[in-house]
Amino acid sequence: MSLLSIEEITKEYDGIRALDRISLKVEKGSIKGLIGPNGAGKSTLFHLISGVEKPDSGKIYFKGREITSMESHEISALGMGRTFQTLQIWGNMTVVENIMAGMNRRLKGGLFSCGLWLPWIRRSEKEALMEAKEILNSLGLLGKWESMASQLPYGKQKLLELGRALAMKPELLLLDEPASGLTLTEMQQLSEQISQIRQEGVTAFVVEHHMGMVMEIADEIAVLHHGKLIAEGTPEAVRRDPQVIEAYLKGKRANA
Amino acid sequence: MVDSKKNEFKKRDLFYLAPLWLLSLIAPDPYLYHKKEFKKRDLYYLGAICLAPLIWSDSHFHHLMVLAGIYAILALGLSLFMGYAGQISLGHAAFFGIGAYTTAILTTRYAFPTFLAFWASALSAAVIAYFIGRPILKLKGYFLALATLGFGEIFLVILRESTDLTGGVIGIFGIPWFSVMGFVFDTYLKQYYLTWGVLIGLFIFSKNLVRSKVGRTLLAVAASEDAASSVGINVPRIKLEIFVLGAAFAGLAGSLFACIMSTANPEAFSLGFTVFIVMMVILGGLGNLYGPVAGAILLTWLIDILSRYQEYSLPIYGVILILLLIFFPDGIGTRLNVRVIYLIGYWAKKKKRDEGKL
Repeated sequence: MSLLSIEEITKEYDGIRALDRISLKVEKGSIKGLIGPNGAGKSTLFHLISGVEKPDSGKIYFKGREITSMESHEISALGMGRTFQTLQIWGNMTVVENIMAGMNRRLKGGLFSCGLWLPWIRRSEKEALMEAKEILNSLGLLGKWESMASQLPYGKQKLLELGRALAMKPELLLLDEPASGLTLTEMQQLSEQISQIRQEGVTAFVVEHHMGMVMEIADEIAVLHHGKLIAEGTPEAVRRDPQVIEAYLKGKRANA
Repeated sequence: MVDSKKNEFKKRDLFYLAPLWLLSLIAPDPYLYHKKEFKKRDLYYLGAICLAPLIWSDSHFHHLMVLAGIYAILALGLSLFMGYAGQISLGHAAFFGIGAYTTAILTTRYAFPTFLAFWASALSAAVIAYFIGRPILKLKGYFLALATLGFGEIFLVILRESTDLTGGVIGIFGIPWFSVMGFVFDTYLKQYYLTWGVLIGLFIFSKNLVRSKVGRTLLAVAASEDAASSVGINVPRIKLEIFVLGAAFAGLAGSLFACIMSTANPEAFSLGFTVFIVMMVILGGLGNLYGPVAGAILLTWLIDILSRYQEYSLPIYGVILILLLIFFPDGIGTRLNVRVIYLIGYWAKKKKRDEGKL
């Protein structure tokens, strides 16, 4: 059974069909890429999966459970982490606190047990700090663990956002344009990071504009164009698909 | 004779600044907010709070500090909601009022012991906050401010109109002194230790919250709700929890207030009072727990001093608030505004520069 399966999803905005009966499957342990020209509906699809918006028709299953009408925090709590197209780190906290807040769902404690600083809270806070530092270490951010997240450079903030999603210990990771705005070296670092995640058994679903990176990391690629799924398959097959070439070339010509 | 004496500026007034100055020292540097653990310095301030009323054994000072302590409890609860969770509430005085009236009604009508009424006040404020908060907290920003404002006004109307229960505009008199197991808090000094004891307890509670999972959750909600729900934080629930907690703090403060003033009447819980508390939180600095306490002491003291200048008091008050916000945009006790320091340095050197010495 696939980890995430999308069945016949349709979404309309004021009569414009952003997504037209899309069906997709993400297999456990794989990295799936989603590409397409601007306005193809990639971000809409991500919003629907993560529960920010609800589809007009169709169903979404995650780990065999239907999540179509769940709230986004419930979906995340099932084990779906995500990063955002426009960077969404918490600049009012330190770097390590960002990661620790990402662990939120795994930490116990409510208003009263935290306020009274009960022994198990003390213990779990200590463990969370250690674990957060380990995550930061693997991202190469440990040197800055005490500085405010807002003071990091953009590339590091992107990494931090990825780290925060990883801190949840997600089974599925949705990455919305992880490479946007990064320099080439930062992009290289990110690809390495993503392949490392994959070795740890995390499944990833990546929306990306940067073709080179997707081709490099993804096992399978789906191509969206005008809200329709026009191709799906291995990177090589997709690269050679005439429909895909046409869609991208048309987009280029229209832009020029 | 008495009046002329009142108008003099006394040296004693300078002493009122001392506890404020002490508190302002522990207010953290804005860049070090994340150092959230208790430090040795906290112990010094605990000592200062315990000794202050013994050193200045002046009943007026004690009374002012009792009021400041009560306002600080209110501001502390509001600061969790405003400074940490990043929401706005302009109805906080209503929960203060609910606490005060619960105590007033329970002790005068049903002869409840004050100690029980104290907890009942927190409970009633929390329960009402829960039912108000559930629909209201779906709103954001200005809309939330307006909705809470509306709630505060409705509460006032209910107080004034339901004369059977609340005594209408006149209010309720004859609330007994606070007492625990036969020990009666009947002097200002005892009340000082009572209110500041409660405040310290709640402060430690809040500080523990802030440095734990809950604090991170609140800051996450304030910075980005989308990101917060993406890591599994139930945003509406944590907002409601902290709103209810703030209301419970306000209920406790209201109960103390009723016992110390021995009356409860609607005028004390008007919009002006809410603004007064919001001002304490903002002057003290958002996202900082020492701030509201320092802000409460400063404003209580300021209003007392200015009341001697009668009709000039309000304009002076306004000017002082504006100056404080310019010089300490992150709250009193934090660093001076960097730009202001730069300007002062510029002016200081200007004369020398003109004289050709620089």
